[in-house]
Amino acid sequence: MDLTLSPEDRAFRDQARAWFSANVPRRELTTLAERRAWHRTMYEAGYVGMGWPREYGGRGATPMQQAIAADEMARANAPAPINGLGVGFIGPTIIVHGTAQQKERYLKKILAADEMWCQLYSEPNSGSDLASLRTRAEDKGDHFLVNGQKIWTSGGHIADWGILLARTDPAVPKHKGISCFLFNMRQPGVEVRPLKQITGSSEFNEVFMTNARAEKSDLIGRLGQGWEIAQTTLGFERGGNSMARVTRYASAFDRLVDAARKLSRGGRPLLDDPVVRAKLGRVYAEMEVQRYAALRVLSALQKGESPGAASSITKLSYSEFEKRYYELCLEILGPYGQVTDGALEETTLDVDSSSGVRSSWAYAFLWARAGTIYSGSSEIQKNVIGERVLGLPKEIRADRVRT
Amino acid sequence: MDFSFSADQQLLRNSARAFLDEHCKPAHVRTLWDDPRGESDALWKEMAQLGWLGLALPEDVGGSALGLVETAILQEELGRAACPSPYLPTVLAATAIDRFGGPAQKSRWLPAIASGRARATVALLERDLSLSPESIQTRADERGGKVALSGMKQFVPWAHVADVMLVPARAGDALAVYVVETLAPGLSITPLAGMDPGTRLAQVTLDGAAVAAEARLPAEALSFLLPRGAVGAAAEMLGAARRCLDMAVEYAKVREQFGQPIGSFQAIRHKCAEMLLEVENSHAATYYAAWALDSGAEDAMLAASVAKSYVNDASRKVCGDAIQVHGGIGFTWEYDLHLYFKRAKALEPLYGDAEHHRELIVRRVAR
Repeated sequence: MDLTLSPEDRAFRDQARAWFSANVPRRELTTLAERRAWHRTMYEAGYVGMGWPREYGGRGATPMQQAIAADEMARANAPAPINGLGVGFIGPTIIVHGTAQQKERYLKKILAADEMWCQLYSEPNSGSDLASLRTRAEDKGDHFLVNGQKIWTSGGHIADWGILLARTDPAVPKHKGISCFLFNMRQPGVEVRPLKQITGSSEFNEVFMTNARAEKSDLIGRLGQGWEIAQTTLGFERGGNSMARVTRYASAFDRLVDAARKLSRGGRPLLDDPVVRAKLGRVYAEMEVQRYAALRVLSALQKGESPGAASSITKLSYSEFEKRYYELCLEILGPYGQVTDGALEETTLDVDSSSGVRSSWAYAFLWARAGTIYSGSSEIQKNVIGERVLGLPKEIRADRVRT
Repeated sequence: MDFSFSADQQLLRNSARAFLDEHCKPAHVRTLWDDPRGESDALWKEMAQLGWLGLALPEDVGGSALGLVETAILQEELGRAACPSPYLPTVLAATAIDRFGGPAQKSRWLPAIASGRARATVALLERDLSLSPESIQTRADERGGKVALSGMKQFVPWAHVADVMLVPARAGDALAVYVVETLAPGLSITPLAGMDPGTRLAQVTLDGAAVAAEARLPAEALSFLLPRGAVGAAAEMLGAARRCLDMAVEYAKVREQFGQPIGSFQAIRHKCAEMLLEVENSHAATYYAAWALDSGAEDAMLAASVAKSYVNDASRKVCGDAIQVHGGIGFTWEYDLHLYFKRAKALEPLYGDAEHHRELIVRRVAR
């Protein structure tokens, strides 16, 4: 056990730190065009899709280097790259399961954010039970005809393409009848409606597909292999970002301490209140434990070990922590923590929350509710941990009795 | 960067586990619970032969010159076995003597400890429950090359079997840590009966107890002892928690109610998943801190406080939830779960409770 960085990794960190401090945008990026321009700058410097193989435009970077870059990005308070789902897991899915033609057509444009991507998985009646999805893709000979509704489509309103799970064979057991497509969002049969969330903002959308088209050449893997592909690639969503996430929490903690120093209760700074101090100590300890755990995961990835079902522990841990974290922040800040507009300078939070959006404490608090639901809710993660990590018996489920 | 154990560290863990599974079975723990002395001299001698007592001591005193990560590995296994033993305070005191003691102290105690002939402990708490140096009341009066210690130390682990004790005391305004032989005239020990008979504690009264003037370690020995004691306790608590998790999961697989193993019910499965999460986070916290202290990392003291405060809560939850998963059987004296539950609980207030360490954290990060 040795947690010191290798000389190469230290050199890489210094290089990344210097680059971000020299290049980070000095003012807030508000439009998609501005964010795309920043994305391109990072892409050209080699900080986007670092883990992708060189032949597809990445730099074949180690998990450690990817984590270092993400960490430095967070440290510099740099806006995140766009097309996160495309770069993070849709591209890698195409690399693993796609045809030569698909790789040629899509990969480069994903990295450069020339084409934006979204994920068309969840449906109104298929949340945790994703495999029950009902969107149909019927084989019409030269193409598939797609009908159905998707929901919780992050970035759907700006997406050019989506990775789509749809049912191609209703006659077989539910997990076997699903196929995976690369799906054009810019066609007449596709309607995207933003969903207004509890944050008041709209990062997510509903997507309605009415007699829309998926090309035969855009089927990923085999017919009926969609569920398997979705299972093997969901893991791409997690892993290397955990260090950066903790760096963002730490930056919020500094803001919190600053506020606690300037705000007072009963004539003394909040920071001198023993109750506040106990809360600060607790939350800091939990945050550090997230960092140590992230280092441990990273160390395993670095050795080429696949975390598999154990990545559910990571997801459960940070998403539940994030909820407790902002709850405690708002407890400490009292009504100041809930101000969304017109806040005193010392009570604002201008770091990125995990959504990558500039935010207030209130926004971060509200947004934290999403983390324990998306990408497999905490309850689903606990099922996975129970069954696949601890080896507890599967529950008897109505849909398993049939199959 | 490598967070996993090296091959040697794994070997150490496996051999420690195999040894304790064989020589410190729950029945043996129960025998020692009923024993007035509370620990086994035979087991202590075997630990010495295995090199556990001198693990972190230099080779010239019979040690292996390994570090805190290796020590924590053994402490985790001792906690997993709920082994009643003065291991933690002995190696803690020994490493402080090694680091700060003069040649006379070192040659007097270190070979004796490494070879299993002597046991040691640390007297960190007094009647006031604060662990901060300012609240130490014990006085050290220097008279003609001799020091006389007066005061009362509370909750001293394994004082009744210790040959030597590290005693923080105040000489005027200056704080120091004295290396006191427990046979010194003026030192008396009153054992306490506690909830965990595997963690023996005593009240130590110093009534002009005599110490040689050179048996004096500088005040920094105190800030050396506290974080290392905290990490050692965290490692034992982690071991106890892991044992409870293992027992709960095994039980949930075989215990049937409503015609199914109870582990198939989400109410039970989710609890077990949460327990695993706490155990894995506790592992990360404990070994990060052990590594940081060993390698002199910038955040070492902070990491020790993070580990102790986190694992305090986590181990209490995990061991308690294991009782809940077991239901009624887990509440019986006959079933072994309470051995580990009590071990973890006994260590909570020692070497700084969670609130103490949270305050230390805030002092460091929010100056």
